[in-house]
Amino acid sequence: MMELLITLLHDAFFSAIPAVGFAMVFNVPKRFLPYCAIAGAIGHSSRTLMLQFGLPIEWATFAAAAIVGIITIGFGKRHLAPPLMYAVAAIIPMIPGTYAFNTVIALVQLTAQSQVSPELTAQVISNGLKTVFILGALAVGLAMPSLLYFRTRPVIQ
Amino acid sequence: MYADTQNDITRQVVRAAQLLLAYGAESDLVEEISQRLGQALGLASVELSISSNSLVLTSLVHGRCITTTRRIREHGINMTIVCELQRICLLAEKGLYGPNEVRKRLARIEPKSYPPSLVVFMIGLSCASFCHLFNGDLISCVITFFAAAVGMSVRLAIAKRHFNLLINFAVTAFVTSMLAQTGYVFELSETPKAAMAASVLMLVPGFPMINAISDMVKGHMNVGISRWGHATLLTVSSVIGITIAMQIGGIFL
Repeated sequence: MMELLITLLHDAFFSAIPAVGFAMVFNVPKRFLPYCAIAGAIGHSSRTLMLQFGLPIEWATFAAAAIVGIITIGFGKRHLAPPLMYAVAAIIPMIPGTYAFNTVIALVQLTAQSQVSPELTAQVISNGLKTVFILGALAVGLAMPSLLYFRTRPVIQ
Repeated sequence: MYADTQNDITRQVVRAAQLLLAYGAESDLVEEISQRLGQALGLASVELSISSNSLVLTSLVHGRCITTTRRIREHGINMTIVCELQRICLLAEKGLYGPNEVRKRLARIEPKSYPPSLVVFMIGLSCASFCHLFNGDLISCVITFFAAAVGMSVRLAIAKRHFNLLINFAVTAFVTSMLAQTGYVFELSETPKAAMAASVLMLVPGFPMINAISDMVKGHMNVGISRWGHATLLTVSSVIGITIAMQIGGIFL
């Protein structure tokens, strides 16, 4: 139990840093940076928690992105600011970097070879599919609250 | 309302919509803000048609229409401006701002950004934490930090000279991967792959991609597809940069 808590806190800390860094690239105003960090930390650590319970990474990402969507709508309502401002910075730590990178490496190797090797092809397909589905889960999960709950009225009024 | 007044208000509204699109707001937000702003300033209705690089807006008062078109040039993402425009819209809606105040405040809007050295440092730190999250060891995290920081300063330097964004991404990816593969070349770290994967993550086109999906699921199909295409092109050009760096490094081939 203690170990799990430490893992989650560790995760939260190291995903809050990229959330702030990318928020600065998007020129989020200074007073909103801590909220980006909170949303990023909660998103990534909740995904880690769900992965611990054995959920597949795609579904865990989808649920975590939906959680980020709900949290950031709360922030947006409080500060009268567009929720996507926090949300995009917050989901950046969940981007499937290693999967994407493995896909690219395998593709490069596949191109360089004179014949098609089944191992590399399998690597391209499995890593590529993971990348695509995790990215889709992130984007659609983030849009979920406004699709399900804010159907006919504006989020900020 | 006189035709002159309607003309003036329409100009303010279309200016707001143009700024929102140029600085990276999603189409739904653009539509919502310009309609609410227009109605708050006294227009009966505002309709707009957004495409990938232009904007057509029609305002209606007393059965009289004014239609105007604006060209949109991308200026990169700046959430400070989007926030400011949202605030102007809310203030106008509460009746605190009339057309004159809105005009003054719109004229004052200027893109401000964080000091480059701070951004470079933070991006280096961000990519180092990515590397840590990918189970990289300490040395690969340090390599990632320097590779990402140098890459980010290259990116900012190229962006300052108004080069095409695709060229910018390819060059930045090349420089970053060249530096990140030192872990492989000199056999410094146990997990050199984590460093290479983490350091190029600063080139992920996060905003175009999320905006694209957000637009598409909310029914702005053409804008969504064009943003999706843009995000894909950016990814492809960074992949080209990474590939060239790998071939020069000669690790995977």
